[in-house]
Amino acid sequence: MSYGSHRVLDGLSIAVPAGSITALLGGNGAGKSTTLSLLLGFVRPNDGRVTVCGVDPGVEPDHARGRTAYLPENVALYDHLTAVENASYLLALSGNRPSRAAILDAFAAAGLQERAWDARLSGFSKGMRQKVAIAVAWLREVPVLLLDEPTSGLDPQATADFNALLHAIRVRNTAVLMVTHDLLSAVDVADRIGFLERGRIVEEVAATGTERFDIRALRARFGERARAA
Amino acid sequence: MSAMTLIARDELRLMRRNHVAVTAVLLLLLLTVVAVATAWTHQQGIAETRARHQRAANAAFEAQPDRHPHRVVHYGHFIFRPLSPLAAFDPGVDPFTGNTMFLEGHRQNTSNFGDVLQSSLLVRFGQLTPAFVLQAAVPLLLIFLGYGAVARETERGTLRPLLLQGAAAWSIVLGKLAALGLVAGVVGVPAMIGFALIAGQPGASIGPIALIIIAYGAYLALWSVAITLVSTLVRRRRDALLALLAIWAVTVVLLPRVAPDVAGQIYPLANRLQTDVAIARDLRWLGDSHNPDDPHFARFKADVLRRYGVTRVEDLPVNYKGLLAIEGEAITSRLFDRYARESYAAHAAQNRMVLGFGLLSPTIALRQVSMASAGTDFGGHQRFLEQAERYRYDLVQRLNQLQADQVSYADDTAVDAGADRRKRIGADHWQRMPVFTFTPPTPATLVAAGLQGLAIIAGWLVAATLMLTAATRRLGAK
Repeated sequence: MSYGSHRVLDGLSIAVPAGSITALLGGNGAGKSTTLSLLLGFVRPNDGRVTVCGVDPGVEPDHARGRTAYLPENVALYDHLTAVENASYLLALSGNRPSRAAILDAFAAAGLQERAWDARLSGFSKGMRQKVAIAVAWLREVPVLLLDEPTSGLDPQATADFNALLHAIRVRNTAVLMVTHDLLSAVDVADRIGFLERGRIVEEVAATGTERFDIRALRARFGERARAA
Repeated sequence: MSAMTLIARDELRLMRRNHVAVTAVLLLLLLTVVAVATAWTHQQGIAETRARHQRAANAAFEAQPDRHPHRVVHYGHFIFRPLSPLAAFDPGVDPFTGNTMFLEGHRQNTSNFGDVLQSSLLVRFGQLTPAFVLQAAVPLLLIFLGYGAVARETERGTLRPLLLQGAAAWSIVLGKLAALGLVAGVVGVPAMIGFALIAGQPGASIGPIALIIIAYGAYLALWSVAITLVSTLVRRRRDALLALLAIWAVTVVLLPRVAPDVAGQIYPLANRLQTDVAIARDLRWLGDSHNPDDPHFARFKADVLRRYGVTRVEDLPVNYKGLLAIEGEAITSRLFDRYARESYAAHAAQNRMVLGFGLLSPTIALRQVSMASAGTDFGGHQRFLEQAERYRYDLVQRLNQLQADQVSYADDTAVDAGADRRKRIGADHWQRMPVFTFTPPTPATLVAAGLQGLAIIAGWLVAATLMLTAATRRLGAK
């Protein structure tokens, strides 16, 4: 995948099975955001193939997006609407009509405080907006969830709430792909971690046992790669 | 509910929750009500005044005593231009052109006393009319309500979530457009209700009324599409607002004022003094009916004597001075008509050029449709001038004929003590003279006059819609 003469992704091959969370770690310019743009159908690959539940997002972006929920790093929602109205509006656009009770349950599961449910978003922090967005993603019940730096800027409690909800989404057999440069966050939730460097996965690690990942070893290896990159 | 409907509803909800937007809409509605009320009252007052003055002028003309017919020719007669039924909606050029004419023999006067010369400063600087509100104020309000429709989504990053929720780019743009179009309808309705009240007057026809409604509907639709287009093309709301305000200033304010000046420079009109001097010069060539030694009238005299088979004017069965007056009036009127036609041709060239500016400013095209359909454009004024001239010529020639038939040549040339009394004819002759009745244009004439402007607006609307379609295709790639 290239932008002009600049090669952004080079031989990237990745599959995210249903009911699993895959984290792609990489520094700036590693190709994380381009990977998500490909999956969302905003850009088309120069060569190779991208499918989301069997649909090519470059060819049928609306179909692919109908199967995908996406949580960007900076969640953009509507300040003139309340949290409930934001959720109702965005879900209605995707053809979902959850009850108010279902929306409130999703807010509670995402850790959004009750007093914020019917407040307009103009006074919301980044973390609160993130919770509204993850609640919307949860309610859409789509088979694919894409996350872009999901815990960036969140406080520890908000991060913990977010990770808990992510586990619940995985249990629902959702394929989750998160791109991040936060190793700790990836270790907390991912089943597999791939290190993206200059547009290709240079190393891939799968969770094993109860300890899942050897954080010290990962930090040492990824830190070394990051410095080398 | 479709994505388009959801997006339109949210856009309307945003406007509803914006206090500035709500206040602006309320102010515009108030402005419209005031415009309808003042225009209606103003026009009713003008119509009543003109009708009263016309009755008084007719009464004064008929109340003349027994007198010589040629004195009646010089006594003259005032006529007043009746207002078109739709003038309250769009007075057009009516306040600037004169509305009364003094008709007399040997002269073709133009109309005098436009409203701007005898009214308050408010009228001079632009009367508040429903047409003005729809032409200038409503587009400005739509700009303030709609400039951020799509640009806001792009700037704040909510466009991508919308697309990811399954809303297609076209449904986003159409939803925004539908919301703005609905607002345009809501703010335009009071003006149209006022228009309906005005159109309910006797004499108003369905054709011009329908054309005005279609033209204003297309104009507001054009602004809605143009605002959505600019908002789709740019990435920042501020840029959209600046671009749209610039477009409004140029197309609504600047060009409609510059266009007539440019047309006036390219197709200059002779002023009254220049025309009078030119006519006086030409009259010397044509001859003077009051001068019996004039070569032309010497030939005329010889022809008359030969036709009647006599050798002296005293032997004619009719009053030769009456025949002389008829011939003189016919000659001078042909000259006046030639100058009038030249003036109309220059006006027509100016108006064609101004309408050509409609390709740059749809407001100019709309004004043309509006004034033409309301019968208040220059064509309507020319219609009055032409009918007034025909009436003047007919009136003067009837009086000249009375002189030829009812006053003997001997009496007419006598200077003895009782001659003046013998030259007089009965006052019943003036009372039997037809009164001036303005024949309004047919509905088909009014509609035909407005179709060019409507075609330009329709062209603008199609072009803007095509551009919006292209911009919408690019929107998904942002």
